[in-house]
Amino acid sequence: MKLLIEPSTKNNLYSDYVDGIILPLENYAVESIISFSLAEIKKITKSSNCEVFIKINKNILNEDIDDLTSILKELDKLNISGIFFYDLAVLELKNELKLKTDLVWNQTHMVNNYRTCDYYFKHGVKYALLGKEITLEEIIEIINKSKITSMVEVVSKPSVAFSKRKLVTNYYQDLGKSINTDITVREKITDTNYEFIEDSNGTSIFLDKITNGTSVIKDLYEANCQYIIFREYGIDNFKDLVIDTKKYIKDKCIDDKYIIKYKKLGDSTNFFFKKTIYRVKK
Amino acid sequence: MKKIELLSPAGDLERLKVTLLYGADAVYIGGEKYNLRANANNFSLTEIKEACSFAHKLGKKIHLTLNIVFHNEDMDGVEEYIKEAVVAGVDAFIVSDPFIISYIKSNFPKVEVHLSTQNSTSNYKAIEFFEHEGIDRVVLARELSKNQIKEIIDKVNCDIEVFIHGAMCTCFSGRCALSNYVTNRDANRGGCAQVCRFAFSNGDEKDFTMALKDMNMAEYIGDLIDIGVRSLKVEGRMRSLYYLATVIGTYREIIDRYYDKSLTPEIMEVLQQRLDRVANRETSTHYFMKEADYTDQYYSGRSEVSNQDYLGQVISYENNLIKFYERNYFEVGDLVELFTPKGEHINFVVTELYDEDMNQLEVARHPDSIYYLKVDIPIEIPEYSMLRIIERKKGE
Repeated sequence: MKLLIEPSTKNNLYSDYVDGIILPLENYAVESIISFSLAEIKKITKSSNCEVFIKINKNILNEDIDDLTSILKELDKLNISGIFFYDLAVLELKNELKLKTDLVWNQTHMVNNYRTCDYYFKHGVKYALLGKEITLEEIIEIINKSKITSMVEVVSKPSVAFSKRKLVTNYYQDLGKSINTDITVREKITDTNYEFIEDSNGTSIFLDKITNGTSVIKDLYEANCQYIIFREYGIDNFKDLVIDTKKYIKDKCIDDKYIIKYKKLGDSTNFFFKKTIYRVKK
Repeated sequence: MKKIELLSPAGDLERLKVTLLYGADAVYIGGEKYNLRANANNFSLTEIKEACSFAHKLGKKIHLTLNIVFHNEDMDGVEEYIKEAVVAGVDAFIVSDPFIISYIKSNFPKVEVHLSTQNSTSNYKAIEFFEHEGIDRVVLARELSKNQIKEIIDKVNCDIEVFIHGAMCTCFSGRCALSNYVTNRDANRGGCAQVCRFAFSNGDEKDFTMALKDMNMAEYIGDLIDIGVRSLKVEGRMRSLYYLATVIGTYREIIDRYYDKSLTPEIMEVLQQRLDRVANRETSTHYFMKEADYTDQYYSGRSEVSNQDYLGQVISYENNLIKFYERNYFEVGDLVELFTPKGEHINFVVTELYDEDMNQLEVARHPDSIYYLKVDIPIEIPEYSMLRIIERKKGE
């Protein structure tokens, strides 16, 4: 099982400590804290020893298509392990242009069953980043039943929604106050904070609470999950965490001291052990 | 030129019949499984069959929503359900999970498959992908401008459907799990709790909100026809009979008048006022003509207003007596409007009002009771005609 990480700064990509890094592409990535230009990506691919994945997960518009086509062609010349994609335009272009770079199906809240994973696998998609709103049991069923290579986000502040609207700007504009681009607000019923982070593509909404899935790594390892993902944003001492996690995996996930040590990340296991409901009346 | 389709929602059989009678060309409904309104009444297979039969007799169509994002546990039985729906007569399935597309197209090639707005499709290249899969129609994301929609239509072969009226999601459809996180209700399986209409606390500042005004595209129906949109969709499978009758009847008139070139600015103003009468929020055209901005949102929490306009639903009209179910209080002396599924609108002052036992009354004050109105209206007033208040009695 490999460990991928998405860094939250350009200063430290942790590429010496992990199996792979995810680099959000400038203007084309959303629900990320930083992004990298094509030039930066080219440089990183040359200097990194680990796998490099690129994130292109915005909703693509007609006017993006020509530029996106050029970018995909450029990326295809690099040593890229895969491109995380949301919009089907990326898959269509890969097939149309016969690009060799593998794709990761990354439709944030929609990667929820093994048949759709197999559907995309049949269409040339190698990997799927599974949804964060399904249970560990469902994840393991997908790993067991689908031909696609599954990735699971295990430690992060989860992204929960994305809007094309400039929700923070609009709020401050209505207040008649100077505009910030980020805001943290509290949902009153659950007393939980959410972060709204705005850029030129729209507004990304994050749960301001770390999902601590360190306790499920062993289950995923035993289920033969190929990749787990940590996202650095909001997590202190990230370097120690990734080094310890790599060691934990190398030792076949048997050292309970790792689990105990990282209880400090908090007790939220998100939906790993909690099923969502959708019918509230008979 | 093929006339554009007016596509209405319906939450049950009665709403479906009303909306078809008021001029919808097709209706989209949810079955008891697999649709994104898990908490609406929804249709059993027997009701779907009856709906199809009713629609087909009128030369109209039924689209069945099958647009949840499936979890592993939801998939058992879906093929059997599709088969049964096809046998019931469904003309099209609205899907968002793509594994279903190829199953339907390879087993039931005559049945259309429409890609749900849940996929937030926003460019022609993504549509080309689904065209290879045999998709017949794509319901576009609601975040697109007129020019973007036109470019898509110019570049793809399948039909394009757009939303024209009703409530809006703040985030891209399918790209929001706020409901999952705040209420544990799965937005992509029909449990959306509309968390984007909640007010969030922001310390000392005014509450942070992101709720949107509703969509109203009445002024731009001509533009949508001209750029080649195939179907105009109204949101709201959980809306009332009165709402659907008014909205569908009004859009029917706008479309028909646009085609026969009788849609003057004066008539448009009257029609817009009709739509405004059933609106419970302010409206906007959002992205169609400009980038959406702060004027398209609410900043004061929930802003719905309750609508008391609707007075009653006609059961029959014989011997100058309108028999109807009352919905809201009214009295002798009030100026009311009667409107029919054929598009007739007649104003009159209430002069004679009776209860079910033909006792003459001054006031109808019991919703859901049957009343009679004595009128002198020389046209047929069919079942499902409706009454609404125009002006309360002077001096009240």
